[in-house]
Amino acid sequence: MNTDIIEVNHLFKTYRDTRAVDDMSFRIEGPGCFAFLGPNGAGKTTTMKVLYGKAKPDRHDSTQLSVFGYDPRSSELNIKALAGVAPQDDNLDQELNVLQNLQIYSRFYGLGTSQAAARIDYLLEFMELAERRTARVRELSGGMKRRLIIARALLGNPRLLILDEPTTGLDPQVRQLIWDKLRSLIKTGVTILLTTHYMEEAYQIADTIVIMDKGKKVLEGAPRRLLRDNIEAYVLELNRPERKDELLGMLQSNGHPEIRVEDSGERVLYYAGNISHLEDLGSHLAPDEFLVRPSNLEDLFLRITGRRLNDAQ
Amino acid sequence: MPNNSTATTPASTPAAESQRNAALPGAALVGENFLAAPIDGASAHPRNFVGRVMSVWYRHVRVYSRTLISNALPPFLEPLIFLVGIGMGLGQFVGTMDGQPYIQYLAAGLLITAAMFTATFECSFGTYIRLEFDKVYDGMLGAPITANNLLLGEIVWAATKGFVFTLAVLIVAMTAGILSPGWILFAPVIGFFTGAMFATLGLLMNAFVKNINQFNFLFSGLISPMFFFAGVVFPIENLPRAAQPIAIILPLTHPVRLTRALAGAGWSPELWWSILYIAVVTAAMGTAALKLLNKKLVD
Ligand SMILES: Nc1ncnc2c1ncn2[C@@H]1O[C@H](COP(=O)(O)OP(=O)(O)OP(=O)(O)O)[C@@H](O)[C@H]1O
Ligand SMILES: [Mg+2]
Repeated sequence: MNTDIIEVNHLFKTYRDTRAVDDMSFRIEGPGCFAFLGPNGAGKTTTMKVLYGKAKPDRHDSTQLSVFGYDPRSSELNIKALAGVAPQDDNLDQELNVLQNLQIYSRFYGLGTSQAAARIDYLLEFMELAERRTARVRELSGGMKRRLIIARALLGNPRLLILDEPTTGLDPQVRQLIWDKLRSLIKTGVTILLTTHYMEEAYQIADTIVIMDKGKKVLEGAPRRLLRDNIEAYVLELNRPERKDELLGMLQSNGHPEIRVEDSGERVLYYAGNISHLEDLGSHLAPDEFLVRPSNLEDLFLRITGRRLNDAQ
Repeated sequence: MPNNSTATTPASTPAAESQRNAALPGAALVGENFLAAPIDGASAHPRNFVGRVMSVWYRHVRVYSRTLISNALPPFLEPLIFLVGIGMGLGQFVGTMDGQPYIQYLAAGLLITAAMFTATFECSFGTYIRLEFDKVYDGMLGAPITANNLLLGEIVWAATKGFVFTLAVLIVAMTAGILSPGWILFAPVIGFFTGAMFATLGLLMNAFVKNINQFNFLFSGLISPMFFFAGVVFPIENLPRAAQPIAIILPLTHPVRLTRALAGAGWSPELWWSILYIAVVTAAMGTAALKLLNKKLVD
């Protein structure tokens, strides 16, 4: 017996000939926000689906799965009674209005009519949808739909919220609004498990991130610590790759061993722990030829996998 | 890991309990106070089996009744148009069929074809659209119901529609004086089981079709011919002798026979075969459909 919220060991999932998840293991111990970050096709959605019984994992003797102490392979109902799920695709009922979409789902959670009415009022207020309660789904903006799907996932008062790309395609204000809502949920003790392509999102709200690539976990940890431990603090982005040979010669003659070069063809990146080394390098360039900035998870991903986060497989 | 007995008493695992308790102090600290929102700990328990199936049924009732007129009017009018057009028009020349006015003979059969058409449509085209186009099942399966609960909900819903459509045609036929009240008032019950049987057929087809147009094979290959060769328009005894065994295998034949018994033909022991047929075929196709469609609903 353990008190972890989620424990996954040696999870494999194959679709025909695609290994969607390849020996994933992770644990979520306490309340907080846990983010899966990775490019298209990394296996984020598949991992989520296994947790609530929407996808069956491969049979494998070493696989161990536990969500609130329940195995999703045999006890999906118990898990879904404790967890709210907001899938990646928009699957609201287009013909119905906001209120009706929630009313329908309230039955799945066994809420009576008056209980449901009170709960729905509360959630519409919470997700700032109260004024649109009688609007048809197809009249809603993308951001409103996303918020409605999150409200729907909250109907059963879940202890765990599984959100598959809650902010993809939304403008920065709406994204910020959703982050605020998620933060206030976390404060009430809700555990959030989300997937995202945006390193900024992971950085902003996640306590722990798991970076996935090709079905595998490539890194796991607190975002700031991951950056501190795994990558130089600053980076110089060279916008004019044709000048890279010139710079390379300069680096060799000046003896700057602490500068690491990452060359991805159309873009060249120079990493260093000390910003002054990069400013030194920049002094040989025109101001519009480069940019010096703090490094981020994107840089980390590039370093580990040699690819960009938004590259598809 | 919970064993089976703890799995049926949900939310009693230590992890779940500690989460619940841990959440409370935090809730008191924030003004938002999420947990104080009205809810009676409903999240702790999945609903019981019947509750889960009926929550799916409830979803369909709500969605369907949003667009009641455009959804329900055509399939309701069709048998009536047929009744008037064929029953009254052609009926004048036919005179009697099986010892009763033709329009009365036809009406008893149309009670059941109404149920057949609505249930088959619902669980072929309707289910396919929900599954592949609207993806509503993907959302529903995030809630505490299983894929089997969902599919059973589809069947109960289609059966309900069978009941309602048989009832609707019955009311019109009685109002017009074509059928007179009596045992026939129980026909909607047969409509219900007709709906369930054809729902399982529709679901089973969903496991095999590659695109939505392939349901046209189901309708032109089976459903429409059945309309003519299963004892609705004329008795199967009038079919060529060689074709009669085929008619007896057709699913529509059996609920129609039962309805004719209610309409005045009276009970006869061989109707037990029809009841058995409906029960066995529904159970067999239903089991197969649930098994096969589970693979489409769960990756
Ligand atoms: N139902 C399915 N049938 C076949 N292959 C699938 C199915 N679902 C996912 N895959 C494959 O499994 C791999 C992982 O997909 P998954 O959806 O888990 O990735 P993801 O990380 O969520 O990607 P995205 O960021 O695009 O949502 C992909 O190669 C995908 O093509
Ligand atoms: Mg995904």
